[in-house]
Amino acid sequence: MGVTKEQVESSLKAKLNPSHLEVVDTSGGCGASFVVEIVSEQFEGKRLLERHRMVNAALEEEMKQIHALSIKKTVTPEQWKQQQESNQSNAAA
Amino acid sequence: MLTYSFFFLSHHRYRTSMATLNLSSLQSLSFHRLFSSFPQNTPTLSFNFQPKPSVNPRPISLKPYVSEKPRARVVALAVNSLGETEAVAVSPENGESAGELPSGAGVYAVYDANGEVQFIGLSRNIAASVAAHWKSVPELCGSIKAGIVDEPDRESLTQAWKSWMEECIKVSGKVPPGNESGNATWVRQPPKRKADLRLTPGRHVQLTVPLENLIDTLVKENKVVAFIKGPRSAPLCGFSQRVIAILENQGVDYESINVLDEDYNYGLRETLKKYSNWPTFPQIFVDGELVGGCDILTSMYEKGELASLFKK
Repeated sequence: MGVTKEQVESSLKAKLNPSHLEVVDTSGGCGASFVVEIVSEQFEGKRLLERHRMVNAALEEEMKQIHALSIKKTVTPEQWKQQQESNQSNAAA
Repeated sequence: MLTYSFFFLSHHRYRTSMATLNLSSLQSLSFHRLFSSFPQNTPTLSFNFQPKPSVNPRPISLKPYVSEKPRARVVALAVNSLGETEAVAVSPENGESAGELPSGAGVYAVYDANGEVQFIGLSRNIAASVAAHWKSVPELCGSIKAGIVDEPDRESLTQAWKSWMEECIKVSGKVPPGNESGNATWVRQPPKRKADLRLTPGRHVQLTVPLENLIDTLVKENKVVAFIKGPRSAPLCGFSQRVIAILENQGVDYESINVLDEDYNYGLRETLKKYSNWPTFPQIFVDGELVGGCDILTSMYEKGELASLFKK
């Protein structure tokens, strides 16, 4: 059986203590494909590759059943704040 | 081993289906069988396209499209109409480096210097396709209109392309010359010169060194190496395809290895996953170090960080 969105969320929450987390099930119901957006202090000072590794490691068990994991964003709370602000100013412009 | 390779085949189909919603897995399987033979930059639908104004008098271009199949889903037209889109002039600068042209998926129209529409195309990476056109037929590339499709599944891309074609035919009364049947000016890319590398002499030959050492030598002796699913001339997975498109677009000299080649790269997938400590493909190495997969390369590409990475 596939993995649920809730399982992915709870593993990521437990291991990366995110301040913002968005998991989207893009598999159409079979639970094999997810898109992840995650904001965590633990990414501070880490390169993109290391951040993705951390997400992959946090989902080690789930990955056995997930076919496609697209990690859309791995940012620190600081970067997240900046992005949100620039998005807002773009929308306002 | 048979079941194993099947797993990976189905894997790539799932991976390419990331943008589709509400499709049962069965439907998406057959859907992607079709889609994987749908080459980039090649609107296969340009042939046999017949406008039928008498049969279908209502203007389609601005109306949401509603599928009549039992599992219906509504696809709102994702792009502006051709008339509403502003043209961007093609110059040596943005023709060759992406410039201000979008690198996303969508529909685009090419106009010559006199403002005559020459071709309407469909692409997974508009900037890369335009750059390729600029290289092959600069005299026909005056300006470009681009319409990005946000959820680029096959249906919405085709829909966007159709709506632009219909609008163009309505306005000008003819099919763009480049879309006429038999015209190969736009849709055939010159064959890529390089072949994929093979890691071993063949499955039947006993290796004298561990596969891991071969990988190690390969990535350290070549500046840029991409491990992809399928051959580089026709990647079999959307993510690999995107990676190749980015590398081609950057004009980097790179080596590619097809991890699905069971004859010459037997056992590579499992060994490479351990070697790089990275669970998925594609994988891109620069100077012997893993840069990452498709997500990372895409994000670096969008931030403009790749040029310096490849130059170092």
